[in-house]
Amino acid sequence: MSLRELLSRFVLVDAPSPLLKQAPTTIALLAAVVITVNVPGLEFTDEAAAAGGIWGIVFATILAAIFTCSPRFDRLTLVIPFIDLLAIGFFRLGTGASASVFASLIILPVIWIAVTPHRRYILLAAIGTSVALMMPFILGATLPEKPGDWVRGVFTPVVFAIAAAIANEMARQGRVQVTAIRALAEERDLMLRGAVDYTNRLRDNEERLQAADRLTRSVLDAVTEQSVVGTDVTGLVDVWNPGAERMLGLASIDAQGKRYMHEFHLIDELLDRSKELNYPPGETVLNPGFSALVESARLGQPEVRQWTYVRADGSELSVEVAVTRRVDENLKTVGYIFVATDVTQALEVSRLKDEFVGLISHELRTPLSSILGYLELMRDDEENPLNDEQLQYLGVAERNAHRLLRLVGDLLFTAQVGSSSFTLVTSDTEVAPIVRASVESATPVAAGAGVELLTSIDEDIALINADAVRLGQACDNLISNAIKFTPRGGSVTVSLANESDKVVITISDTGMGIPADELDQLFARFFRASTATRAAVPGVGLGLSITKAIVTAHHGELDVVSEVGVGTSFIVRLPAKRFV
Amino acid sequence: MTANGLRVIVADDDADIRTLVSIAVRRAGLDLIAEVGRGDTALEQLRELRPDIAILDVSMPGLTGIEVIAELSVDEQLRGIRVFLLSAAVTEAARQAGIDAGAEDYFFKPFSPRELALRLTALVPAVGRPE
Repeated sequence: MSLRELLSRFVLVDAPSPLLKQAPTTIALLAAVVITVNVPGLEFTDEAAAAGGIWGIVFATILAAIFTCSPRFDRLTLVIPFIDLLAIGFFRLGTGASASVFASLIILPVIWIAVTPHRRYILLAAIGTSVALMMPFILGATLPEKPGDWVRGVFTPVVFAIAAAIANEMARQGRVQVTAIRALAEERDLMLRGAVDYTNRLRDNEERLQAADRLTRSVLDAVTEQSVVGTDVTGLVDVWNPGAERMLGLASIDAQGKRYMHEFHLIDELLDRSKELNYPPGETVLNPGFSALVESARLGQPEVRQWTYVRADGSELSVEVAVTRRVDENLKTVGYIFVATDVTQALEVSRLKDEFVGLISHELRTPLSSILGYLELMRDDEENPLNDEQLQYLGVAERNAHRLLRLVGDLLFTAQVGSSSFTLVTSDTEVAPIVRASVESATPVAAGAGVELLTSIDEDIALINADAVRLGQACDNLISNAIKFTPRGGSVTVSLANESDKVVITISDTGMGIPADELDQLFARFFRASTATRAAVPGVGLGLSITKAIVTAHHGELDVVSEVGVGTSFIVRLPAKRFV
Repeated sequence: MTANGLRVIVADDDADIRTLVSIAVRRAGLDLIAEVGRGDTALEQLRELRPDIAILDVSMPGLTGIEVIAELSVDEQLRGIRVFLLSAAVTEAARQAGIDAGAEDYFFKPFSPRELALRLTALVPAVGRPE
C-alpha cells in the first residue's frame, strides 16, 4: 500500500463528506418511519408534524448531497445537523411527543455537531437538543407542566452536552493524532523521497564511475607498447596492463596482488641505486629494494631512468621507466605508477650511431690528414720550390681540403648532439677573449669579401661557465655566416655586453636578410634560407643548428631578428656566473 | 746514428700517414728505426728495439695506442719511452684520456707535419744529447 493510499484513509476519517455524515440520521429516520408504520402500538399521533420532520430530513439529506458535490458550501455544512435536530423535533412531535420512542434519534445530529472543532458547538448542540425536545411547547407557546418534560427539555440536553463535550474532545484528540500522523507521514514521505533521490544520485555516480573506469581501462589496454604498472606504497602490484603482460611475460591475474614491482628488476641495479642514494635500503619506504625505485617519485619528483627488467622467464630487457606518485584526495601518497618503454632498439640505434660517428671520424679524417699533410710537404719542400702558379693551385687544394674537413667536423658534431658523446668541457671563462679571437680569425675573410668588420666589446664583462672551444666555434659560425651573407661594401658588427644577469653577444650584418616565414626553421639541420640559395651562397645548412646546440648546451638562448634586404642580427644570451 | 741519437718508432695502420710522420721525424733530425702498421707489432718492436720515442696512432688493429702505453707502463725497462699519440678523434675528452694514460702529447688528425717536426725537435735538449 502506497503512502498516498494510506493517507487517504485518514483523510476519509478526518473529513467525511456531509452526505456520509447525514447518512446515519437519514437511515435512522427511515427505519423509524418503517417501524412506526409496521409495529402495532406505534402510530403517527400528529401526521403533519411527522411529515414536517420527514421532509426536514429529506431536505437536510438533499442539502448534504449538494454540499458534498460543492465544496464551496463547506462553511454552511453545520446547518444540516441543526435542520436534522429541528426535523427530529417535529418527527418526535408527530410520533407521540414526549411519549415518542424516537427521541434518541437526536443523538445523531448532536454527535455531528459535537465532533466539529470549537467547543462553542457543544453549547449549540445542547441548545439544538433542547429546542428539539421542547418542540411541542415551543410550537404551543406553552410551558411544560409535567416535571418530566422539564427534565427532558433541560436535563437531557445537559447530558447530551456532556456527551457532546466528550465526543468533541475525542474528536479533537483524534484530529491531533491525525495531524501528528500526517506530519509524520509527510516527514517520512520527504525522507523517502530524499532516499530515492540519493539512490538515484548514487546510481548516476556509479554509472559515471563505471564509465570513467571503462575509459581508464580502455586507455590502459590501448597502451600495448609500454608497460603500465601500478603499485601500492609497498610495491605490491595492483595495475598491470597488456603492455606489461607482453613486456614482462606475466598475465595480470598472476601479477596483481601477488607480485612486487622490484621483483622485476635486476637486484644489482637496485643495490647500486640504493648506494647512489646514500641510504640503507628499506630505510625510507616499507619495502627494501622497492625504495630505490621510487625514491625520487616519493619526494614528489617524477623520474625517468634506465633500468633492466627481468621477465617472468628470467630474460632481461633494457627499459626506460617513468615513475610517478599516486596520491589520494588528501595528497597522501598511496602508491606509484611505472610506465616503461623498451629501449633495446633505441640503445642499439644509439650504439650504431656512435659507431658510425667513430667510423666517419676515422675514415674521412685519415685521408684528409694525408692530403693536407702531403700538400704541406710540397709547400715546404725547400729543395724543389714551387712556382707561383703551382703555389696558387696548391692553395686552392688546401682551401678545399680544409672546407671538406670543416664539413666532416660539422657532420660529426651534428651526429653527436643529442647523443651521449656530446658533452661540454666547461670552466669559468671570460667571453671577451673568445669573441675577440673569433673576430680576429674572421678579419682576413671579411677583408677578402669587402665587408667591414666592426666590434663593440665591453671588456668589463661577466665570467660565464662555458666550454671555450665550443663557444668559440659558435662565434666563428655566426661571424663567418654574417660575412658570407653580406654583399661587398656592407658591414658586420660584433658586440659584447652585459644585460642584467646575462652576457649578450650580438652579430649584426647589413646582408640579404631572411624571410620572416623561414625564421622558425632557421635552426633546423640542413635548412637553408631561400635568400641564401638564390644568392648561391655555399653551405649545407649545419652551422646554425650547431650554433644553436652549443648555445642551448650552455643554458643560453639564440635569437634572430631579420629583415630581407636590410640585414640580420643574431643574439646569443648566456647566463653570467659572476661579474669580473 | 744521427746527430742527437734519439731513436723513434712510428706506428699507424695507414701507410700514407705513417710515411708522413716518418718524414716529419727525419726532418726533426731524429733516427727513425721502425715503421709498423699494427698495435701489437708496435709493442713487439718497442720491446725489442727499445727506442727513445714512440709515435703511435690511437686507433690501430691489434692494440690501440692507449693499450700500448698501458703495456709500456707496466714494464720497468720500457717505462722511459716517450709516447706521442695521433688520433682522428675530435674531442678534448679523447685528448685528455691519452694524456691521462701517459702520453707525452696528443696530435689530432689532420696534423701539420711541420708542427710535428718542430715539436719533436724541441724534445732534443730535454732528452739530453749524448756528447
